[in-house]
Amino acid sequence: MDLHNLLTSGQPILLDGAMGTMLQAKGLPTGATPELVALEHPQWLLDIHSAYLDAGSQIVYANTFGANREKLAHCGVTVEEVVQAAVSLAKQAAQSRGLVALDIGPIGQLLQPTGTLEFEKAVDIFAQVVRAGVAAGADLAVIETMTDLQEARAALLAVKENSSLPVMVTMTYEATGRTFLGCSPACAALTLEGMGADAIGINCSLGPREMPPLVEELITWTNLPIVLKPNAGLPHPDGSGYDITPEEFAQSLASLAQMGVQIFGGCCGTTPEYIRLLREALCQTQVRPAPRHVPPAVCSATKVVPIDRVRVIGERINPTGKKLMKEALRRGDVDYMLGQALAQVDAGADILDVNVGLPDIDEAEMMVAAVKAIQGVTDAPLQLDSTDPAVLERALRVYCGKAIVNSVNGEDAASDKILPLVKRYGAAVVGLTLNEEGIPQTAQKRVEIARHILDRAMFYGISKQDVYIDCLTLTVSAEPTGAVQTLQALKQVKEELGLKTVLGVSNISFGLPARGLVNQNFLTMAMAAGLDLPILNPNVDAMMAAVRCYHLLTTVDENATDFIAAYGNATVSTSITTTGGNTVPASTSGTRTLEEAVVAGLKTEAAAATRSLLEQREPMDIVNEMLIPALDKVGVDFEQNRVFLPQLIQSAGAAQAAFDVIRQHMATGDQEQVDRGTIVIATVKGDIHDIGKNIVKVLLENYGYTVVDLGRDVDPQKVVEAAQRHHAPLVGLSALMTTTVKNMEETIAQLRQAGLTCKVMVGGAVLTPEYAAQIGADFYAKDAKDSVDIARRVFSDSM
Amino acid sequence: MMEVQLSSLDISEVLRYMGCPAHQAGQDLMETVENCAQTLVKVARPRWTYRTFSISLEEEGVRLSTGLLLPSKDLRTHLSGCHQVAVFCATLSPQTDRLIRQAESRDMLQALALDCCATAAVEQVCDQIETFLHGEYPGCYFPFRYSPGYGDLPLSLQGPLLALLDAPRKIGLCASATHILTPRKSVTALIGVSHTPVTDAKRSCLSCPAGEHCQYRKAGGHCGSA
Repeated sequence: MDLHNLLTSGQPILLDGAMGTMLQAKGLPTGATPELVALEHPQWLLDIHSAYLDAGSQIVYANTFGANREKLAHCGVTVEEVVQAAVSLAKQAAQSRGLVALDIGPIGQLLQPTGTLEFEKAVDIFAQVVRAGVAAGADLAVIETMTDLQEARAALLAVKENSSLPVMVTMTYEATGRTFLGCSPACAALTLEGMGADAIGINCSLGPREMPPLVEELITWTNLPIVLKPNAGLPHPDGSGYDITPEEFAQSLASLAQMGVQIFGGCCGTTPEYIRLLREALCQTQVRPAPRHVPPAVCSATKVVPIDRVRVIGERINPTGKKLMKEALRRGDVDYMLGQALAQVDAGADILDVNVGLPDIDEAEMMVAAVKAIQGVTDAPLQLDSTDPAVLERALRVYCGKAIVNSVNGEDAASDKILPLVKRYGAAVVGLTLNEEGIPQTAQKRVEIARHILDRAMFYGISKQDVYIDCLTLTVSAEPTGAVQTLQALKQVKEELGLKTVLGVSNISFGLPARGLVNQNFLTMAMAAGLDLPILNPNVDAMMAAVRCYHLLTTVDENATDFIAAYGNATVSTSITTTGGNTVPASTSGTRTLEEAVVAGLKTEAAAATRSLLEQREPMDIVNEMLIPALDKVGVDFEQNRVFLPQLIQSAGAAQAAFDVIRQHMATGDQEQVDRGTIVIATVKGDIHDIGKNIVKVLLENYGYTVVDLGRDVDPQKVVEAAQRHHAPLVGLSALMTTTVKNMEETIAQLRQAGLTCKVMVGGAVLTPEYAAQIGADFYAKDAKDSVDIARRVFSDSM
Repeated sequence: MMEVQLSSLDISEVLRYMGCPAHQAGQDLMETVENCAQTLVKVARPRWTYRTFSISLEEEGVRLSTGLLLPSKDLRTHLSGCHQVAVFCATLSPQTDRLIRQAESRDMLQALALDCCATAAVEQVCDQIETFLHGEYPGCYFPFRYSPGYGDLPLSLQGPLLALLDAPRKIGLCASATHILTPRKSVTALIGVSHTPVTDAKRSCLSCPAGEHCQYRKAGGHCGSA
């Protein structure tokens, strides 16, 4: 007997009840490590498992919930010892009466970005538990009480990569229907089924009464068997236990078999009595698995985007033809990408394409950094865009949710490498209708390639609804009949193959005047032909307007709700242009000078004043003769307590807006960018407070320095590498906690060991000039303004 | 258990955290801070949990009835006369951290304002909890709340205290390997309970971990939380 036999029987499957509750009853003191019971009181576990098996449990969970090396770090025992003992005891109790599950709970530290634990480290921690469980002879693995979908993914990957055990995954939700970290049952379902879980569900936190809406959501979004292991109701306010009786627990939980739930058990507060009554209640019930039809969709950890209408994929995170994005990538400036990501989501993008391919950077590293950072600030699902399978695999591992892979095509050599990854990580995939011979001229040939891609994808086990076909836009100025063929192919793919379609829209108008007009009309024609997923620049309102109008006119947008929300108060103007991802009015001439605007902290006016100045003056003159003197004035006022940090930041923001205009201007010409030298900055390893560092960054950039911002929680080695690669004469380090200053010291030591001659400035709440000197720093920056003064000194010395 | 509800935040307190005296803030800055305060209150989902323990004062510090030693002479002095201690923890939720992260990519002034709003919100949450806990012990006296990082009470206690409160499971609050609370806008604290009047009833700069590095003291003032 194994889990698969039980599942295919169609009968309800009975798990056990609480372990912690039973251990406390046996006398486990508060604050003790429950996992040590396997070594210290083996008889307790034999008793508890036997009691559950006697009550009817078909699967018992070994007492390994927290048996990971982080939680056991101070216990003087190894993961292997604890897991071996706990699983053996469960097996000894079970004999042939039931299966034994290796129980895997959370590590106890939060993963990035909320915490500091790295994803791959989490996978490694779980992998050790899994290997120990396999060696001890567990029959299956259960991953439970997860609140972070990314941690559940790490555990699931560890099980898949280190065993062939069947695996169930249950997460714990609040009454709001979300986990603490905001994950919904729908996101969990799409993601975990995609990654190969055998059953998924809910445990802990709520009681059976609160289950129905969550079960409803789960069965909408998964075809997998559903597991429920709730608490014995909600906790009493005084902490004296839980609020429902074993009888009510059993009745109310068993009734959910009607909804198709197949696997039942109890969490906190439940005892063998609950399980015994649950078995009796289930004897009188049938599991009714209603047929399920999961809609096509992608998701992040916190948001599902069903492909049930036109969904816009933002195209801006891509260096092709974008000089500023290329520069940002070469600097490793993930922040620039975050600005682009947020601007696109604000403009209405549903999904973001992420392409960081440049010949002279480490694409895989950059892709991982970009995916993590973007997922840290937006809940839009991502389309991972690369031709390199190695890059795609790294991105897919770290992406939390169900992504889209962009792309494969009709060439089997490449798709045989990429499609297995799409399957393993549970993504959707874009298929381009081209092959070894190029892009076919005719619609019919493109449909044939689409059919071939679909066959290959299904061969690898990818479901049909997760294959999206791109019939490819050809530039109409070069291929006059191209648009017609593309639209015809799109229509056929949709109608004959029943697949969702993707199309990059903007290429159509290359080489033509008034490109916006062509793009907008082509988009409308494509949507009418059945386009589901246009890839476009959402910051161009005309494109979003076309999508909103299409939804309005096809009654997708009932009562014009979305349309009115977007345009109810708008004066629609055609003179909207975009700069650096931000939509700004094309020309409003300010009434103040640039200096006045910077001193007053007015962004729009500073940008406008810069634009008009650029008509007459050289960019570098504007920087040196106006911007920097204005900033200096604010800086002096700040030092003398005439203005304060908020006003300093406001002025910096205005100067930044002016700088953006100048950079844009220089990028369109072929001029060299303003560059007074490179400074590498980072918040040190273990520290996640980075607001001070970010204020410093803005100020340094205002003065024309190129800032390579490595972010927060940065490994010493990464700082060394960046300082080497960028030949930075100055490195700035920030730490806010006494506990992380030692990592600052370590970083400085490694910079010195590497033989770098760069100067190091440090700052942060717990530092003093004396302490800074003691840990080997060259400078102590007491505030953001001070860091600029230090930079000036260092760079005047080095010139 | 009492549910914590954030009400509107004290804008001048937020401005003070931002490094700006309230009377020096122009209208646009006031508006920015007010908008941020509203957003923060809407997004934050405060959660908390607590337990009480009887304590014994020992040579090296304070021992909880579970056996956990809090190795701190300062805490021992602080809790002298107390027979019990309520240990609580609270968090504004990961959504708050995310809100601040987003702002850092959009607008640093808003990021600073939101960060300081969150600090003010954590204080408000702690005040509500403290009032509630005081109400649980009618007729008793309480020294001010005390947290790891104050005096010589080590930050490395964050993890063990959270474990004792089952905080990771109950409210999703964890400590990192470097003892930082995550989500970031969170707190753990101890409140002593005494049958007799206590001396340490008010917080003061003398017992504050910021001590001489405090930005407010450097500027000749104080944070206003005493």
